[in-house]
Amino acid sequence: MLSYANALLETMDGGLAAHPNAFIMGQGVDDFKGIFGSVTDLAKKYGSQRVFDVPLMEEGMTGIAIGAALVGDYPITTHIRADFSFLAMNQILNLASKYHYMFGGIMSCPMLIRLVVGRSWGQGAQHSQSPQATFAHYPGLTVIMPATSQAIVDMYPQIINRHRGPVISIEHRLLYNLDFSVSDSGKRVPLTSYVAREGRDVTVVATSVMVVEALRAAQYVQEKAGIEAEIIDLNSISHPDWDLVAESVRKTGRLVIADTSWLEYGVAAEVCRQLVLRDPGLLRSPPSMLGMAPAPCPTAKSLEDIYYPSQHETVDAILTQVRGVGHDIALPTEKSMTEGYRRFRGPF
Amino acid sequence: MNDRDELYRRLFRTSLLIRLVEERVIELYPSDRIQSPVHLSIGQEAVAVGVCDALRADDLVFATYRSHAFYVAKGGRLDAMFAELYGRMGGVSKGKAGSMHLSAPEVGLMGSSAVVASTIPHAVGAAHSFKRRSDSRIAIAVFGDGATEEGVYHECLNFAALMKVPVLFICEDNGLAVHSHRPVRQSYTLQKHAATFGIASRRLDEGWDMLAVREATMAAAAKVRAGEPFVLEIATSRYKEHVGTGEDFHFGYRTSDDTDAWKRRDPLIIDQQLVESLRPELECEIAEAVAFAERSPSPGRAELLTDII
Repeated sequence: MLSYANALLETMDGGLAAHPNAFIMGQGVDDFKGIFGSVTDLAKKYGSQRVFDVPLMEEGMTGIAIGAALVGDYPITTHIRADFSFLAMNQILNLASKYHYMFGGIMSCPMLIRLVVGRSWGQGAQHSQSPQATFAHYPGLTVIMPATSQAIVDMYPQIINRHRGPVISIEHRLLYNLDFSVSDSGKRVPLTSYVAREGRDVTVVATSVMVVEALRAAQYVQEKAGIEAEIIDLNSISHPDWDLVAESVRKTGRLVIADTSWLEYGVAAEVCRQLVLRDPGLLRSPPSMLGMAPAPCPTAKSLEDIYYPSQHETVDAILTQVRGVGHDIALPTEKSMTEGYRRFRGPF
Repeated sequence: MNDRDELYRRLFRTSLLIRLVEERVIELYPSDRIQSPVHLSIGQEAVAVGVCDALRADDLVFATYRSHAFYVAKGGRLDAMFAELYGRMGGVSKGKAGSMHLSAPEVGLMGSSAVVASTIPHAVGAAHSFKRRSDSRIAIAVFGDGATEEGVYHECLNFAALMKVPVLFICEDNGLAVHSHRPVRQSYTLQKHAATFGIASRRLDEGWDMLAVREATMAAAAKVRAGEPFVLEIATSRYKEHVGTGEDFHFGYRTSDDTDAWKRRDPLIIDQQLVESLRPELECEIAEAVAFAERSPSPGRAELLTDII
C-alpha cells in the first residue's frame, strides 16, 4: 500500500534523481510541511539549488519556469491551492501553452505544474476550486487528475522524463492521506484513462476524488442490489481515452458522470459532447451528473455538506440509472463525508 | 580605418539594415502580402544594435512584439524573417508566429511575446538556470517602459535581487504605451524603483547613439556576469505609430516635436554619406530575402494541427 502523498514524494524524489536538470520551486517547498508531505526533505537531499522556496509571485514563478524550460531545465512548480494558479494564468495560457505551436515547433516548455484542490473543513470560495475544464480548454496543455497512487507512479516519471510540453496536474487534497495498492509500473503507460472497475449495468465516468466516491458507491450497489457499475477514471482530462468511454457506454447504455467541479461547460459537458458526436443513440436514458453546486463554495458546514455530491447522491444516481427514478433500494445513511475523509481535519 | 571607426561602421550597418528592412515592410504592406500587425522599431534601432553588439554571441535575449530590430541585431536570418512576416513555410516558425513573435534560438533570441512584460520572467528563469549550472552566460530581458507597470516586472526584480540572478533588464523607454504618455502612467522613476530592491541601474538618455548604448550595455553586462542583476534604461523614440506603418501625429496625442528632436541626432539620418555607401549591398540583401519569402510556399492544412503539444 502506498499513500497518495508518498506516491508524490517517491515520484518527486525519483524525478530529481533521474533528471539532473529537474528542480522544484514553489511557496514553502522546503518547509517542514513539504507541500502536504509530497516534497518533504527533498531540499535537504538535493540542496537549495534544486528545491527552493520562492516569494509570493505566481505569475513570475511560472514565467521563470518557462525560461528555465526554454534552456533545457525541467521545472516543477507547486500551488498549495489550485486557486492560486489563477495568478499565473497569463504565463500558463498565453505563453506556456502556446510556445511550441506559436514558434512552429522550435520552442518547447516541458514543465510540471502541480495544483492541489481543497475540499471540506471550510475551505470556502477561494480554496476549493478545481479548474480542470478551464485548463483543458486550451490547446497546448496536458491536464491530468491522478485519482490514485497508481496513477501518480504511472504518470509522473513519464511526464518528467519524456513529456515535451507543459503539464498541469490537479491533485486533490482529500486523496493525500488515502492508501492505495500499487502494482509495478515499470512498463510504459500512456497518459490516458483507466478502467477502475469493470461492470455491465452502468458506466460511471469520474475524475479525481470522485473516482474513490464512485468505487465506494459501486461496492454499495453491488451488495444491496447486485448492480455492476463500470467505473472509468478519466485521469487524463485533456486527452482521455474517449473510445474506452464510448465502448463502455455502448455496453451499458447508462451513464453517470461524477466530476470535482461545476457541470456547466465542464468535464460533464465534454463527456456528453464526445459521446453524442460518436453515436447519439448510445444512451438508453438521459445521463445523471454529479458535480459542485452552481455557486461559489460556501464555508458553513451545513452548506458545504450539500455543496458537494454526497455518497448518498452518488449511489442514488447509479440506482436511478439502472432501476429508474422509483427504485426502492435503501440509500446509505452516510450523507456527506466518507470514512476516509473523516480523518481529515483542518486547517490544511 | 581605426578600430573605433570600424566598430561604428559595423553598428551603423546593422542599424541601417534594420531601418531599410522596416522601410521595405512599409512599402510591401499595402500589397497585403504581410497579413499581420507590424510594430515598427524605426527610431529605436540603436538600442537593439548597441545592446546586442555588447553581448556574447551565446547570451540570450527575450524580446517583445516590437521584435524586428532585436531579431536582426541578434543575427537572425533575414530570409526567414520575411518569410515569417509573409506567413510562409520558409519562415522562422513556418508562418505561425508572424511579426509579433519572431525568434531565432540558434543565435540566442528566445522568443518575443505580444503580451506586455510576459517574457521578462523568462529571462530571469533562463539566467537563474545559468547560475544553477555555473554557466557564464547571461540573459537579457528587453521590454518597454509600459511593461514596468505590470506586476510581473516587480515580481521579477524582487526574485532577481533576492537570488542574485545574472539577468540584465533593458528598458526601451520610448515614453509611450500605445498612445499614453509616461507621466500619466507612472508614479515612480525606474532607477529609484530598482534601488528599493538593491538593484544597480543606469539611465542612458542618448539612445540614438549606438556606441553609447553598446558601452553602457558592456558595463552593465560585466556586472551581471559577475553575479548581480542590473537595470539599464535607455531613452529612445518611436517614429511611427504604435502598430502599423504610418505616422500618427495627426491624431493629436503627440506632436512631431519630440521625434524631430530625435531625428536631428539620428545617425541614420545625419550620416547620409555612410547611408548611401552601404545602401546598395543592404538593399540587395533585403531583395534576396523578400524573393525567398515570395517563393516560399504557404503552410498547408497538415500544419494546422502540428506542434500543439
